[in-house]
Amino acid sequence: MKKLQLDAIAFLLIIVVLGIGNFININKPEVSEIENRALKQKPELKMSSIIDGSYFRDYTEYYSDTFILRDKLLKISSDIQQALFIRDTDVKIIVSDKSKEYINEPEATDDKNNTDTRNTPEENTTEPVSTPDFTSSPEPTEKPYNEADGVGYWLVIDGKAVELFKFNKDNFDFYANVLNECNEKLGGKMPIYSLIAPTNSEFVELRKHAGITDSQNNATAYLNSKFNDGITAVNVYDVLNEHKEEYIYFGSDHHWTALGAYYAYTAFMKTKGEEPVPLEEYKTVEIDNFLGSTYAKTRDKSIEKNPDTIYAYLPFVDYKYEKYRFYQLSEVDIIDMKYADTKLDKYLVFLSAGDGTWAKISTENKNGKKLLVIKDSYGNSFVPFLLPHYEEIYVIDPRFYDFNTSEKNVVDFIEAKDVNEVLFVNYMENVNYRDFMLSLERLINNEDGE
Amino acid sequence: MVFSSLFFLCVFLPVNIILYYAVNNNTYRNVILIVSSLVFYAWGEPVWISVLILSGFFNYFIGTSIEKNRENGKGKGIVSLAIIANLFILGFFKYFGFFVENLNTLTGIDIPIIDIGLPIGISFYTFKSISYIVDVYRGEVKAEKSPFEFLLYVSLFHHLVAGPIVRYKDVEENIKKRAISFNAFNNGVERFIIGLGKKVIIANQANEFSKVFLDMNYSSLPVLGAWAGILLFAIEIYFDFSGYSDMAIGLGKMYGFHYKENFNYPYIAKSATEFWRRWHISLTSFFKDYVYIPLGGNRKFHIRNMLIVWLLTGLWHGASWNFVIWGLYFFVLLVIEKYLLFKIEKKIPKIIWRLYFVVIILVGWVFFYHSSLSDAIQFLGIMFGAGASSFSSSEVEIFLNSYIIFIGIALIGCTPFIKSIFQRIKGHMEKKQIGVYSVDQIVKSIVNTAIFIMSIIMLVGQSYSPFLYFKF
Repeated sequence: MKKLQLDAIAFLLIIVVLGIGNFININKPEVSEIENRALKQKPELKMSSIIDGSYFRDYTEYYSDTFILRDKLLKISSDIQQALFIRDTDVKIIVSDKSKEYINEPEATDDKNNTDTRNTPEENTTEPVSTPDFTSSPEPTEKPYNEADGVGYWLVIDGKAVELFKFNKDNFDFYANVLNECNEKLGGKMPIYSLIAPTNSEFVELRKHAGITDSQNNATAYLNSKFNDGITAVNVYDVLNEHKEEYIYFGSDHHWTALGAYYAYTAFMKTKGEEPVPLEEYKTVEIDNFLGSTYAKTRDKSIEKNPDTIYAYLPFVDYKYEKYRFYQLSEVDIIDMKYADTKLDKYLVFLSAGDGTWAKISTENKNGKKLLVIKDSYGNSFVPFLLPHYEEIYVIDPRFYDFNTSEKNVVDFIEAKDVNEVLFVNYMENVNYRDFMLSLERLINNEDGE
Repeated sequence: MVFSSLFFLCVFLPVNIILYYAVNNNTYRNVILIVSSLVFYAWGEPVWISVLILSGFFNYFIGTSIEKNRENGKGKGIVSLAIIANLFILGFFKYFGFFVENLNTLTGIDIPIIDIGLPIGISFYTFKSISYIVDVYRGEVKAEKSPFEFLLYVSLFHHLVAGPIVRYKDVEENIKKRAISFNAFNNGVERFIIGLGKKVIIANQANEFSKVFLDMNYSSLPVLGAWAGILLFAIEIYFDFSGYSDMAIGLGKMYGFHYKENFNYPYIAKSATEFWRRWHISLTSFFKDYVYIPLGGNRKFHIRNMLIVWLLTGLWHGASWNFVIWGLYFFVLLVIEKYLLFKIEKKIPKIIWRLYFVVIILVGWVFFYHSSLSDAIQFLGIMFGAGASSFSSSEVEIFLNSYIIFIGIALIGCTPFIKSIFQRIKGHMEKKQIGVYSVDQIVKSIVNTAIFIMSIIMLVGQSYSPFLYFKF
């Protein structure tokens, strides 16, 4: 045979064209929009990195990361994977490699001059399961989601992604201890509320797969039994359960919707014996085509076909929202529409990402009520509903708090700002997640200022 | 550098092929190959390339020296010392930690274990070099006169890092004079693409999926989950390793070299004996020709010889007791098969043989996978019902339901089924032409191109994923 076969020709053409294409493409991208992360940079040519081989490894990674048409090819790649390998069932388990996971949260850094908002993986490194020993409900079975090597289990059902919850007693005990310590340090001078938000795995109809995820309601009950007097638990489970047919959780993002947050708010008000503001009082703004964190993690087609819509409720009270990033202060909107046009970050419209090292919201209500909310990203859609009730609301996210540019711990902070009420708003997976809890603990106990 | 990386495919390979075919002279081509092979190796091993080069020159000198001393009988001494030297280097880098660890445990002394790192491919090039000097000693091949052509043999990037273990006598002619033909190039490209697809499309996915079961806390692993997990591992390791051999053989053909097959559909075997005639053939034939037969083969001390070979085979795969156990496990099976089962072979129905084979192979992989023996035993227990949380579970069922197509494709790929389909197509279509190509050629080209494009796309979607057999 004196000719090249068609596949040999295609092979040569492809590798040459791609090789040349990458070579002449001088403007290498630095950020991957579709993955929401920074891409590997060209490594610096140093003798030490040549000798230990890291220069070559990094270069190879850089080459792949900045490969021509990468974002488009990534999309096609996951489409192929799903088309070829996954039978189109309505229920699937997606195993997500946590080292490749990205969330919508900006990274908390210690660098004061760093305004980089790269995203970090939200890792779930839980320890082996033990059953909770409370008498009110049956014990959850031991679940095998051992995230040892960074594998997360997501159940995709009916176009929605659900993170499979595995109760970890040690972490829940730790959370209770941290709050109890806070209560002690404050000497019972002010009410402390704990609001744990369940995730959608608690409410999504799992049909014959019920039992695949541990009961979060039981986990919360266990937690509440561990609180000392002075800490009031807010039960949001009942109200959410009542409204579970409504759009209270996103299908493509791990957060609850503003509507879900609203119902939780009503539960909070009820606990305090106050009247919630009716939702009708708020003007609604609609943001379409939202594909969020769980879509980014699973890249599942059935989720892609069911994008979410964000309904945000605009505050009607006059307010000033001051967000501090270290020493830099910016005044931003509670519902910050600059995030509405991003690809994967639309949830950040709530509380303008809530990523300040600390923040202060002052309202027109001069009623002397000053609240401190210690929250995670679930709190971002919750806090806006509190504006009609307080004169000042301080917001701290334990992951972003900076001990150098603010008070050395939260007790000092409370004293300095004259706070008279404390609310913890965290979601179930963060209570279960040791690293988050450690940053919360540090917030309360930090002594030496660093 | 690995074959299944975008850098290799889009930078190294096109540059290499263009340079190679731009010159018309065998010597220049050899120079291009040596230089690029050293660059290829240095890319992954910038410091220990020194060991590769030194080992190459050392064995070259041994070869010529054996040749010179053929008359005076010193040859035996030279080759023996050289073998020990080669094995010492390999042992030093690969087994030092293992040796010291066991010495510490046995004697209670506490020699510190320094982590030197294992140079890539050292197991392969050491064995290649040993096969060369022994073949020279036995007179089966003449010592290579050119140190650079010998270095080319040892370092050629096609088979340097993950085999096959190519014998010098098989490629000597290729090194000196290569027949470049369109036919070889076409076949080479096709073979390379198939290997790439096996690695990127099947092996890498199987690796992800196996983690679902193999990475979890075993106290919650159901029986079905254990079988699924180890089956996926079996798929992964076959497609990974045979895929790499395919790429090596394919590259060889593209450059005018001919290497022997390293795999022959090992999973269609019906016994462990047959399996080892089909799996990593270059390794088993190395042990046969250089250890088993010199020791007496099956004529003298048969069982002792088998034991030694299987201990070495296990140990070659890794410096850890589970690999030794894995080797011993096959030794026991092979002895039982040879002296018991094969005597009643005809009486056992084929289906029972196949069932037997599936079980023993998967059990074997359990030892191979778990470096901790207690983990392996716990896992085996679960496979056979002891200590499992349940027979099945919701997660296992959902998982299997979702990935059943993938597993099906992979299992079919383990058999010559697809090959025979193409033979059929060829039989019917090769007389019909479209332009200068026959229809079956066009069909094959379309399929291969699709596999190649799919592999590239999926490589973009995957991060750096080195071969399983890469740490050898």
